[in-house]
Amino acid sequence: MKKTFFGGVHPDDAKALSRDAKLTRFLPKGEMVYPLSQHIGKPARAVVKKGDSVLAGQVIGEADGFVSANVICSCSGKVKAVEKRRSISGALLECVVVENDGQFTSLDADRYCKRRDTSKFTKDDILSAVKAAGIVGLGGAGFPTHVKLGPKNPDAIRYIIANGAECEPYLTGNDHLMREEANAIVEGMQLLVGMFPNATGVICIEENKPEAISAMQKAAAGKKDIEVLPLHTKYPQGGERSLIQAVAGVDFPVTSLPADVGCIVQNVGTVYAIQRAVCFGEPLFTHVLTVTGEGVECPMNLIVPDGTSVAEIIEFAGGFKGGKEPKKVLAGGPMMGFAMSSVDVPVVKTTNGITILANDPAEIAERQMTACLRCGRCTTVCPQGLMPQMMAEAWEAGNEERYEKKLYGLECIQCGSCAYICPAKRPLTQVFKQAKAEIMAKKRAQAAGGKK
Amino acid sequence: MNATLNVSSSPHVRDRWTTPFIMMVVSLALLPAAAVGVYAYGIRALWIILAAVLSCVLTEFVFDKIAHKPDTWKDGSAVVTGLVLALTLSPSVPIFIPILGGIFAIFVVKCCFGGLGKNFMNPALAARCFLLISFGKAMTTFEVDGVSSATPMAALKAGKAVNITEMFLGTSNGIIGSSVLALLCGGLVLWALDIIHGQICFSILISFSLFMLLFGGQGFDLKFLAAQLCGGGVVSGAFFMATDYTTSPVSRLGQTVYGIVIGLWGGIFRVFGSSADSFSYAIILGNLLTPLIDLYIVPKPRAYRKNALVGFSEKEKKPFYKRIPKPVVALTIITLLAGIALSGVYTLTKDSIEEQKQAAKAKAYLSVCPDADHFVKLESADAAIEALGGGVYGTSFGKAYINEAFVAMDENGKVVGYAVSVTSGDGNDGDITLALGVSPDGTINGISFTKLTETPGLGMLADTDAFKGQFAGKNVSEFTLVKGGASGDDEIDSLSGATVTSSAVVNAVNAGLDFINTYMREGGTQ
Repeated sequence: MKKTFFGGVHPDDAKALSRDAKLTRFLPKGEMVYPLSQHIGKPARAVVKKGDSVLAGQVIGEADGFVSANVICSCSGKVKAVEKRRSISGALLECVVVENDGQFTSLDADRYCKRRDTSKFTKDDILSAVKAAGIVGLGGAGFPTHVKLGPKNPDAIRYIIANGAECEPYLTGNDHLMREEANAIVEGMQLLVGMFPNATGVICIEENKPEAISAMQKAAAGKKDIEVLPLHTKYPQGGERSLIQAVAGVDFPVTSLPADVGCIVQNVGTVYAIQRAVCFGEPLFTHVLTVTGEGVECPMNLIVPDGTSVAEIIEFAGGFKGGKEPKKVLAGGPMMGFAMSSVDVPVVKTTNGITILANDPAEIAERQMTACLRCGRCTTVCPQGLMPQMMAEAWEAGNEERYEKKLYGLECIQCGSCAYICPAKRPLTQVFKQAKAEIMAKKRAQAAGGKK
Repeated sequence: MNATLNVSSSPHVRDRWTTPFIMMVVSLALLPAAAVGVYAYGIRALWIILAAVLSCVLTEFVFDKIAHKPDTWKDGSAVVTGLVLALTLSPSVPIFIPILGGIFAIFVVKCCFGGLGKNFMNPALAARCFLLISFGKAMTTFEVDGVSSATPMAALKAGKAVNITEMFLGTSNGIIGSSVLALLCGGLVLWALDIIHGQICFSILISFSLFMLLFGGQGFDLKFLAAQLCGGGVVSGAFFMATDYTTSPVSRLGQTVYGIVIGLWGGIFRVFGSSADSFSYAIILGNLLTPLIDLYIVPKPRAYRKNALVGFSEKEKKPFYKRIPKPVVALTIITLLAGIALSGVYTLTKDSIEEQKQAAKAKAYLSVCPDADHFVKLESADAAIEALGGGVYGTSFGKAYINEAFVAMDENGKVVGYAVSVTSGDGNDGDITLALGVSPDGTINGISFTKLTETPGLGMLADTDAFKGQFAGKNVSEFTLVKGGASGDDEIDSLSGATVTSSAVVNAVNAGLDFINTYMREGGTQ
C-alpha cells in the first residue's frame, strides 16, 4: 500500500495529452510584461524607468521588505513603460513593460552556464543566493522561498519534502522536469537538506509518473539523506498538507505552518530553481509550463521566460484546436487554476500551466444542479476532514457562528474536491471561498476598528 | 475574440455522477426485488408497482407546475420513492392504495417540506405508515387467489413456525418486496458503489441482531435470528429506507449512532411491541432524530482530532469511556429510555390485560350456560379445532373461526350444556368474538360478546338484548338474516344500518351451532 492522505478524489488526469512532449525552450518575440507582484507579500519596487535598457537576468523590481521577492527581466530590450496592466488573475497590477529585442542578451557573460564552486557555501550564502534570484514557490502560491527556508527553529526541521506529485489534472511540466533534470533536482535537495542538521529529504512523486520515479531514483541512488517516495495517485496529493500527512503522518491546523510540525515543502520546480541560483548564479526568470487541454492544437511542455503573453504561447502551441474559440482558458490546472477573461496577459513565475478547455464542465454542471441530497460524498473526500455539506448549509442559513466555530470553516484549503464530487453539482468550494473572504474582511475591519 | 471566454471559480472539472444517475442506480438495485415480487405474486404486483411509481412522479410533476418550481420530477427521486413504497405493500391491496400512498409521500411528506433534500421523514415509509393507520385491514391482509392467511411476521409474532428459506427467497406470503435475497443483492451492490453508507446498514443489522439474541427470549438460536432478520422489512429497511440520504445523518459517526438507534428500537418494538410492522416505525423515529444528530455530532477537522499529533507532542491516552463523545452517550440513553417507555406500557399491562380477558371469557361462558358449575374440554372437539389449525370453519359461514369449545357440567358431572367461542373476521371494523351456549337438547341459551369493536350507535347495538335475545330459546340448526321483522324461529332481524355486523354475528352463531351439533352433541338437532 502506497502512502497517501485521507480523503481525496480521482479526477480524469488527462495527462496523456502532453505526457510524451519533451521540454522545449520557447523564446517569444512580442513585448514582455512583468507584474511587480508575482508572489505572496508586498509587491516589489520598480528599479528601472521608461527608456532604460535591460538584459535577461537583470533585477527590474527589488524586494520591498522581508516577505517580498525580486522581479527579474527575462529578455533584453528597452523599458517601454511602468504602468498598470491586466494580470493573469484578472487584477490590474503595476507592471514593467519591456520592448523585446529578440536577442535575449544575458546579463551574465557565460549565460549562466558556468558552474560556481559551492563547496564552501554556508547556509546564509544559499539563502542570499535564493533571495537575489527572486525565487518563489512555483507550486502555485508563490510564497517567497527565502522566507520559507528561514524558520524560527531550524533544528526542529525533520523533513524537506520535494513536491513532485503534480496531482493537478492535465499538467505534465514537473513530470518532464524530473525526467530531464533529475540530477539537478537531487543536488538542489542536498543543498536544502544541508541547511538543516536534523532533516532528511523526501522526493514525493505520484505513481502515475513511472519514468519520473525511476529517473529520480537513479539520481538519488547512494545519496543517503535523500529518499524517493512514490505516492498513491489521488487529488490533492500535491497539496502541502496532504504531502505532510503522507510523509510525516501529521495533521495541523491552517493557523500553523508546515515548519511548526518540522516540515518544509518545496515544489520540484522550486528545488530546480534553487540549484540553478546557487550553483550557476542564475536568477529565476524562466520556468516550466504545460500548455494543454482539448482546445489546443498541439499540447506541449515548455520552458518559457516570465512575462511572455499567454496568447503568444498558445500560438506557439499551434493555436486553438480547429481555429475554434475554446470555452475556457485556465491558468494552472482545472482543479485549482483560475479562469482567464482574456489571453492577452503575461505569464508569471507561478504559472505552471495553461489549460484550454474546449467545453466548460462547470457550465454544464450549472445546468445539472439539483438540491443538496445530503449524500455525504463531500465529507468523505475532504482531505481536511471537514463537513462541506454542513458548512454550506450553515453559511447559506447565515449561521456564521456555527460555520466558523463548530464546523471550522476557515480550515478549508479550497482544493475543490467537494465541489468536484458533488452529484447535485453544488458550488461548494466557491461558497467557501466567498465565506472565507467575507469573514477575513470582517476580522480585518474589526482589528482596524480596535486600533482606532 | 476574448469576450467569449467563460470565467468561473475553480474547480473547473466535475465528477460524472449526477443526482439522476444515482437515483437510476438505486432504482436498478430495487428491480431484482420487484421482479421476484412479480414472479411470486403475479401480474397484479406489477400493476401495484407501476401505480405507485406513476403516482409519485405525476404528483411531483403536478406540484412543480402548480408551485412554479423547476422541473424536479426529472431527478428520478420520485421513482425511487414509488418503488420503495410499492415494495412494502401487500400484492393484494386495492389499486387505490399505492396511488394514494404515492400522493401522500410526494405531496405531503416531500414537496410540502421543501422537496428533495428537505423532507424530514423518508417519504415512502411515511406513506406506508399513513396507509397502515388509515387502511389497517387492507394493508395487513395477505390474499392470493382468494385465500388469505397470516404473513410470516404475524405468524412469528403469534409464536408459530415459519419457513425461513421461503422468507429468504421471497416466495412466502408477505409484501411484494419480501425477497431478502434480491434485496440483499441490490443493497450490497449499492454499498459497493459507495451509494449507501455501510455505517448505517451494518450498524442497524448488527445492533438489531445483538438485541434479538440478548433479549429475544430464544437465547442464542440462529434459526430464530435468521427468521427475525428475513422478515418484517429488516433488510429492505436497513439497505433501502434507513439509508435515504435526506433523512439520515451526514457524518460517519452520526450515521453509526443513527443505525444503532434504529436497530435497538427495531428490536425493542419487535420484542415488546404488539405490531408486526415495528421496523417501519423504528426507522421513522430514527429519521426524526437525524436533525438532532447532525446538530450535535460534528466531527472535528483532522488537525483538531486527538490523534493529529500537532507538533509531534505525544498526547496522553484517555480511557476508552472518555473518548466516546458525550452526545453518543446521551443519545443512546435517550433512545433506550424512549424505546423502553414505549414498549414498557404494553409489557406492564400485558398480564392484567390477559387476566381480564380470561375473567371476561369465563363470565361469558357462564352467562350462556347459567346452570354450569364447571367447564371441561371434549377430546373429539379439541381434535377438530386442532385439525382446522386456525383456519376458516366451513365455507358457508364467511370467515368464521372456532376458538375453543367446552362441555358445561353441574356439581355431579352431569352435562348441562355446551359452550363454544367463535370469531368472525367479517366484522365491519375488525374481528367479532362471541361465546355461544346450547343446552343438551339443542335449545340456545344465548350469546355473549367477548370482542366487539363495531361502529358506536350502529354495529355496537348488537350487544343489546333486543338483538341478542333473538337467539335465546330457539332450537334450530341454522339462522337466516332478514330485514324488516323476523317471522320464523330461524329468522333474525338485522340491525338497521349494520347489516355487515349482523351478518357476521349470525354467521358466527351458525358456525358455532354447526360445530356443536357435529362434534359435541350426541344425536344432532333433529
